[in-house]
Amino acid sequence: MPTTLENWNPGKAEDRHPEATYEEKERLFLEVKSDLRYEDFLYGCYECGICVSACPSARFYDFSPRVIAQAMAREDVERIYDILTEDIWNCAQCFSCVRCPRQNNPGGLVTILREVSIKNGLQESKDALQGYSRVIYKVMLKGNQVSPDMLQPDFFPDWGPWVKNFSENMHVWRKAIPMDTIRGITDVAWRVERKTLLELYTIWFESGNMDIIKELDEGLYDLLADVMQEELEEG
Amino acid sequence: MTSNKILVIGGGPAGLEAARSVAELGGDVVLIEKRARLGGTPDRENYAKLTHHWRDASEAMGELAASVTNNPNVEVKYQAEVKGLSGSAGSFTVQIETGGAAESLEVGAVIVATGFQHFDPGRATQYYNYYSFPDVITLTDLEKMLKEHKVVRPSNGEAPEKVAFIQCVGSRDRQIGNEYCSKVCCGIASKQAIEIKEQLPGAKVFIFYIDMRMYGYWENEIYWPAQEKYKVNYVKGVVSEVLPKNGKLLMRGEDTTMSRPMEVTMDLIVLSVGMEPSAGTRSIAQLLDIRQNKYGFVEAGGESGLDPVATSRPGIFVAGAASGPADLDDSISRAGLAAARAVALVRKELA
Repeated sequence: MPTTLENWNPGKAEDRHPEATYEEKERLFLEVKSDLRYEDFLYGCYECGICVSACPSARFYDFSPRVIAQAMAREDVERIYDILTEDIWNCAQCFSCVRCPRQNNPGGLVTILREVSIKNGLQESKDALQGYSRVIYKVMLKGNQVSPDMLQPDFFPDWGPWVKNFSENMHVWRKAIPMDTIRGITDVAWRVERKTLLELYTIWFESGNMDIIKELDEGLYDLLADVMQEELEEG
Repeated sequence: MTSNKILVIGGGPAGLEAARSVAELGGDVVLIEKRARLGGTPDRENYAKLTHHWRDASEAMGELAASVTNNPNVEVKYQAEVKGLSGSAGSFTVQIETGGAAESLEVGAVIVATGFQHFDPGRATQYYNYYSFPDVITLTDLEKMLKEHKVVRPSNGEAPEKVAFIQCVGSRDRQIGNEYCSKVCCGIASKQAIEIKEQLPGAKVFIFYIDMRMYGYWENEIYWPAQEKYKVNYVKGVVSEVLPKNGKLLMRGEDTTMSRPMEVTMDLIVLSVGMEPSAGTRSIAQLLDIRQNKYGFVEAGGESGLDPVATSRPGIFVAGAASGPADLDDSISRAGLAAARAVALVRKELA
C-alpha cells in the first residue's frame, strides 16, 4: 500500500526495534561518537541541503545525509539507532556530500556507523552484506576488483539486466579483449604482485578489518585467515 | 611635527562621511581616492536603489559627495594612492602619488575607508557555472539591469518568467575560507526581488536561503512585504548545481523544510555574492602596518573590543567595510565615530 497522509504512521523508534533498550542504543551512539574521526566529520549543520542535493542515493531512496548530520549533532539516540539499523545501508559511499560548506562529512559518519554496526554484530549489517561475501573474498584475497562472474547477480540488480548473461560467459568476453596484459588472465581482473598482496594481508589484520569480517561472517573469516596466514608465514 | 590634518583614504560612503564629519567638527581633511570619481562601490557597481527610503543610489551618493567637495575644509585628491607612511600618532608623514606625481604630506591621524569587493563567483565550491552560462548573474549584474529598467536574460534579451536568487555565495563557507556572514545580501536580494516584481509583475521570483538575516527594520520593511505584497517565494535550501536544460537553467537543491530533493528550471539565476576585503584594503593594511584578521579585513575593536574604529596602530582608524562586511548604516556610523576619534586625538596632541 502506498504511503499517504491518511495511513502514514511511522510510530516510535523503540516500537520498531523493541529488542534494543535505550541504554544499548546510547552505548552504540557513544561508540560512534568516540571514534577518532568523529570530530573531523561533524562540525555543525545549518541545513542548507547541499549534501542532499549532491547525493545520488537521496534521489532514489528515503535517505538524507543532512538528517544523519542533524541527528548526530542533536545526539538523538533513538533516531541514530534508526539510522544505524536502516539508513546507512542506502548510502553509496561516493562522498559527494563532502561539498558541505561547513566541511562536514556525512558519508564519513556513515562509514563510522557501518563499522559500529558490524563490530557489534547487528543483524541488519549481516542482512545488508549478505550478498557481498564473494566480493569481500575476492577483493581481500586477490587485491583485485570484481567482475560479474565472481558474484551472485541476483543480489546486484543495479548492475543491470545483462549482468547474468555477461557473468555466464565472462571467460569468453575476457579472451575477446585484445590487450596483452589481460589476455589469458581469467580468474582476476589483473595480476597483483605477491609483495603487494602480502602487504595488503598485513594491513587487513593490523587495521582491524579481519576482526570486522570475523564478526560479520565467521565462515568467510576462516577461509580468508587460513590462506592469508599461510602466505604471510611463507613470506 | 604635530599636524592638525587628517587623512582619509577612500572616497566611498564611509570615506565621504568621515571627511564630512571631520570637516564639520572643524578639522582639516585630505581625502584621497584611487578612481577619478567619488561614490565608491555603490557608484562603480551601478547600485540602483538603496534600502533607505528606497532612494536612488546615485542621487544619495551624489549628495554625500557634494557635501565633501563643497566643503572648504576638505581637499580631495583624485587618482591618488598612498605609497608609504612613517611616524606615529599625531605626526605621520605620508607619501602620496597623485596622477603619477609624488608628494609628501604631514598628517596627525589617518582614517582607512578602503572598502570591500564582491566575491568572485568563479571561486564558489558549488557548481553555479557563472562563467559558463550567461543567464547566471550576480547581485551586482542585476543591480545594473534594475538601474536601466532592463531586466532580461542576457542569453536572448527576453524578460525572464522565473527568477531565482541563491544566497550565501562565497559566505559562511569553510571550504572557501569565508566563514563569516556578509550581512547585507539577504536584504539586498529581497530588495531586488521586490524591484523585479515592480518592473516585471508577471515574473515568479524565488529566494533559496540558509537563514534570512534582517538587520535594522529590514524584517518589516523588506522581508515581509516581499512575501506578503510581492509574493516572493522563500525556500530554505541552497542549490548545489546549475545545469543547462532546453534553453533554461536547471537548479538542483533540497527543499529542507519539506525534506525533499528538488529540481526546478529557471530563466535567470542571481548569485547573492558576499563581501571580501578589496584589493585596496589588503594592500593599504600592509602598507600602514595595521593588523588584518584571518579573512584579510582590517582588524578592529581595540583592546576593549568595544572600539569598532580602532586599529592595531594608534592614530590610524578604520571605517566602513574595510574592517568587515557592513551595510550603509554601519559604514556611515563608524565613519562618524572614526572622525570624532581622529579629531579628538589631533586636538589632544596639539594642546
